[in-house]
Formats: sequence, structure tokens, C-alpha cells
Amino acid sequence: MSLSFGGVSKSWHSPTCRERPRPSPNWPLVNRPTLAKVPLTGLSLFLPMSMNQKPTRRAFLKTSGVALAAPYVITSSALGNADRPPASDRIVVAGIGIGNMGRGDQNAFLNRKDVQYVALCDVREDFRDNSKAGVDKHYGNSDCKVYNDFRELLARTDIDAVHIATPDHWHAIMTIEACRNGKDVYCQKPETLTLREGPLMVAAARRYGRVVSGGSQRVLGDYRKMVDPAWAGEYGKIKSINVNVGPMPQLCNLPKEEMAEKIDWDLWLGPAPWAPYNSKRCSGSFSINGSSWRSFSDYSGGGMTDWGAHHFGGALFICDVMELQPEEVTYHGDQGAPYLSLRYPNGLIVYHNRPNTGNLAIEGTPNEPVPPKPVPGYKGDGIYGDFIQCVKTREKPFRDIERAANTAVVAHLGNMAYQLRRSLKWDAAKQEFPGDETANRLVDRARREPWQL
Amino acid sequence: MLNDAFAALKSYDWGTDLAPLAPIEDAVAAAHGNAEAGKELEARLLTALQGELSRDAKDYICRKLTIVGTAASATILAGLLTDENHSHMARFVLERIPAPAAAQALREALPKVSGKVKIGVIGSLGARRDAAAVSALSGLLADGDAAVARAAATALGDIGTVDAVKALQAARPSAAATMQAAIDAQLTCAEALLAENKRAEALAIYKSLASDDRSKLVRLAATRGILACAAKNA
Repeated sequence: MSLSFGGVSKSWHSPTCRERPRPSPNWPLVNRPTLAKVPLTGLSLFLPMSMNQKPTRRAFLKTSGVALAAPYVITSSALGNADRPPASDRIVVAGIGIGNMGRGDQNAFLNRKDVQYVALCDVREDFRDNSKAGVDKHYGNSDCKVYNDFRELLARTDIDAVHIATPDHWHAIMTIEACRNGKDVYCQKPETLTLREGPLMVAAARRYGRVVSGGSQRVLGDYRKMVDPAWAGEYGKIKSINVNVGPMPQLCNLPKEEMAEKIDWDLWLGPAPWAPYNSKRCSGSFSINGSSWRSFSDYSGGGMTDWGAHHFGGALFICDVMELQPEEVTYHGDQGAPYLSLRYPNGLIVYHNRPNTGNLAIEGTPNEPVPPKPVPGYKGDGIYGDFIQCVKTREKPFRDIERAANTAVVAHLGNMAYQLRRSLKWDAAKQEFPGDETANRLVDRARREPWQL
Repeated sequence: MLNDAFAALKSYDWGTDLAPLAPIEDAVAAAHGNAEAGKELEARLLTALQGELSRDAKDYICRKLTIVGTAASATILAGLLTDENHSHMARFVLERIPAPAAAQALREALPKVSGKVKIGVIGSLGARRDAAAVSALSGLLADGDAAVARAAATALGDIGTVDAVKALQAARPSAAATMQAAIDAQLTCAEALLAENKRAEALAIYKSLASDDRSKLVRLAATRGILACAAKNA
């Protein structure tokens, strides 16, 4: 699972590959001239950043509803100015899942001058309506299109990238489907619900040359006070680090409630087992105490994955094992509250909830400093800027899906060890628990029809 | 305690207290490494499953059988596969337990179901990488229900045998989504073959997908695959 990465080496993403008409008369009919260098399995190719077909004026007029009714006008907005690139150089973005996190992501993209936000999708009608109103107000038009079904949005050929902020049980399906449709993806954390989903998301991203970023802004933003000295070698060889996070997810058997909102319940449940509507079951609040979907195992890995994406992510960054997965998780349940230790191939131990140990407490060898190394970072401003910049350059973002999935693996292994109440060995190359038939059953779960990965 | 928990299952439903079922959780965890205990627990769960229980209670039992279930579970759960209210949770078990009888139950259900339930069964056969299902799944590539055909294509990609690849390459679905799935499945097969150092077989798939009549997205994916084959050969 090792990769050269980040600020050290360039990635090998292929160029974007879009075949699309532009979405509205505000889009000038010019092709992007940008060239991106694409090192690819030892070879280098220069390919246009955008491989979209050049629509002819005639073709455009045929597909434009206003073609024969009004003269074609290129607006000053479309041409750009000193503060904003022309429309042809903006990244066309849409959002799926516009709840608490989705709204934040949407605003971050909406406020970027190099982004044109054109569509959104949510299974809640009021979320769709309110969100569209905000986007339209931002642009001073009514162009933002809304969808209940994400498949219709992903089928659009004019969209470059989507951000996904649905509950976790949807992340893999939507991300993979987006890749199959040639979209780059910014997926909120935790990116996966099962161990199986991570490799499939990575495979889809690599297969179609997509930029797929995970979503924790805290990994780089919150832990620099420890990352910098660690990468400077001041802690010496780090022997262990502890992460305090939780709780595990719980089974949800909340009672049926009358639906007090307009929501496509079957689509909200999606691949998860059928269950009756309950407002707490589908609440997107940040609670993990039983009053939001984040609490429940059918939709989330609980606090273990939700905050774990941040804290484990930070720990793995500090210890420079973001490209690795643990090879063993030891369950310490003999006395007191159980806790875990996860051993990495390089000998590092990541503890979970080690008694009397602070969050991100490190055991190092400061008297034996190691050589410093450059700290990888964003390629744009913040995690959203990093993603958009990588969409343009085809580099890997800081939270590339493989790194993000590796982080989620730690949390999933932890949840499994607590569930089974025993230690587990993990073969990262084979993505299985060697000789452990029972644990291998939990690598994935059957999805409710008609949903497949 | 365990007896009480099984008794509590009879009145368990959405909205009731989960705590009385905790001994079942304990028994599942304790069954690891104790085949007799596991077998006994499975038998009790299966007996309960066949009783008059709420949907939520049956779902709960299926979740536990996912961990302790054996071929004995496959026989009972086969009967739930055709029931649209229980098919998914039956697959929750049958997709994950390694007993060949589980795959057989899924294969035998295939001709008995339709629509979404059929798609679910197809998906589980793919997830199990059930080579014995390739023939049946290949026939579904031309199914009149485009969603079924698409699911079959994806499942064949997961299975990835030589026969699965042949079926995918021969498929000429009219629905665009099915064709997209068939192509994606071929790319999945090629990646698996290359990972197994079957370079020539992978290269043949990639070359077949690199033709001008394919979309640019597919041509690019195929070209990347061809280059990966070259790198593998170097």
C-alpha cells in the first residue's frame, strides 16, 4: 500500500476526460488550452487538461432552449475579469447531500471564483429548495438545478466535480458511480463504512484517472504543532501514539414516526437495511449519542470513524504512516475498560483509548533524533483549494482517497475488535484477516437491493 | 440469561429496549473458537427465526447469523430470499458466510425472483465471486429489465473468470447504463488479471476497449491499462 506522494513526488493522474456540452448560454464556446504533464507508469504524456469535445456553435444552438428565441450573448460574467477567471476556466461543481456538512462544503466551493456551482442533490425537498435559493442568490440567477436522485446528477456531462456529504453508507456507491461518470470527487469523511469499500473506491479513482479527495480538514489543520516537530525528527523514532475517540456505533431500533418532512425515505436508506422513518435515525446532527445517523451502525462507524477520521488521521500524519495499514489489532479486555493497540509494519503502535493516556500522546526517542523530512501540504488554499487545484493539475490531493481509506481502516479494525472482543490480524495486501473466517465475514455487508458497489 | 434474551426476542420490535438482547451479543462473542457453542447458538437463532417474530426481530437474528451462521443457516434462509421484506437480510447472511450451501441458495433463488429482489441476489453472487453463477448471470446480460442486466454485468466483473470476461465482451446491451456497466466490469476483470500477472489476458481486454468507438473516458482507462501492462512487462 506504499505510494510516493504529496509534496515529494508528482502524482500520475490522467487528465480530465469530459465529453460535454456547456450548461447555459453563459458558457463561451472555447476549449481549455491548459496542458498538464502526466507521468504515467514511467511514461510521460502531455495531454490537454480538458478532453471535452469542442461543441460547435451549431451544436450548441441545437441543444440550447433559447437558441432560436434570442440572440446568443456572451456576458461579461462569462468572460471573466481581474477577480474571476472566464467561465471556460472555472471548474463546474455540483453537490450531493446538502445537510450540515454539505452546506459547509457547498459554501466553500460557491465562494471560490474558479468554481461554477451548477447543481445539487438531496432527498429532502426543503434542503433542495433552500440550497438552490442560496446558490441562485449568490449568482443572481436561477440556473442551479436540483435533483432528488444522484444518478441523474451524475449522468450530466457538463459537471467536472461533485462534493458528497451524505451519510456514510452512501459514500462508496456515490463516489464509485461518480468516477464511472468521469467526475472528480470531494467526499466527506469518514469515506467508507466497510473495509471492502476503500479499495473499490481507490480502484475506481485510479481506473478512470479521477481526483478523489477525502474530507478531513483537521488532519492538516489541527495537528501541525505535533506534525512539524515529528517530521523535523525531534521526537526521534516514534514508538507509539494514542488516540482517544469514540464511541462505537450502535444498532438502531428507533420506533416508527410520522414523517414530518418531505423526504424520499427509500432513497435515504439506500443500501442500508430497511427501517421505518424516525427523525433521529436520519438526523444529520453531529451527535453520536443515539440522536443522529452518526450513532448507528447501518449508516456510520459511530464516533470511532466520525471523529476517528480526524484524530486517527492526525496520528497517522504525525507518525508518517498515512500510506500504510495496521497488520494487527490487539484487544486488551482483561481488566477495566477495554482498549486497543494497532501495530504497523514498521513497528509503530497506535493505541486506542489507552488508560491514563492523553489524546495524541507520543512515545518517542527524543534523545535519538532522526533526519528531518519535508512536510507535505495542500496544493491550494485549504482542503477545498487543494481539491480544486488538483482537479486542474491532475495531481493527488492531500487527502487522496487511498490515504483517507487507510485512516478509516484503523477505525473499522477497531470497531471489529471491540465487536468481536478479541484480537485480529490484518493482511493489507490481500485485504483479509488471514485464517480468521469469522472476521472476514465483516469485511463487507450485503447492500439492500437494488444497490451494488 | 440467554433464555431470557430469546424470550425477549418474541416481543422485540422497533422502539423496544435493546438491552434484554445483550446476552445474545455475549453468546456470539463467546462462540469464537468453540464450535459446539456456535452450533448450539445458531440452532437457537434459526428456531427463533422460524417463529412468529417482528421484522425487526428477524433482522436482528440475521445480523447474528452473519457471524455464527453455517450451512445449516443457508437451508433456512433460502426460504426468505424470495420474500421482498426479508430477502436483503437473508443475503446479509448468505453473502458473507463461506459455506458453499449459501452460494447454492443464492443461485437457486435467481430464477424465482424478479426486479429489485433479483438485483440483490445477483449482487450477492458477485460479492461472493461465485464462479458457478457465471452461466446464469451471463444469460441475464440480455434481460429485458435493464437494471437486472446492469447488475449482472457488475457481478460478472466481480467474479472475473475467463468465462465471465467472454460473456461481458459478447454482450451487446441496448441500454447505455448496461453497456457502461459491462465496460466497467471488463476493466475490473483486466485489473484483476494484471494483478495476477496474467498480462496477455489483461492486455487483450484493454486493447478491445481502446477503439475509437468508445467514449474518451473508456479509451483513457484502457490506455492507462495498456501502459500498466507494459510496465508490468518491463
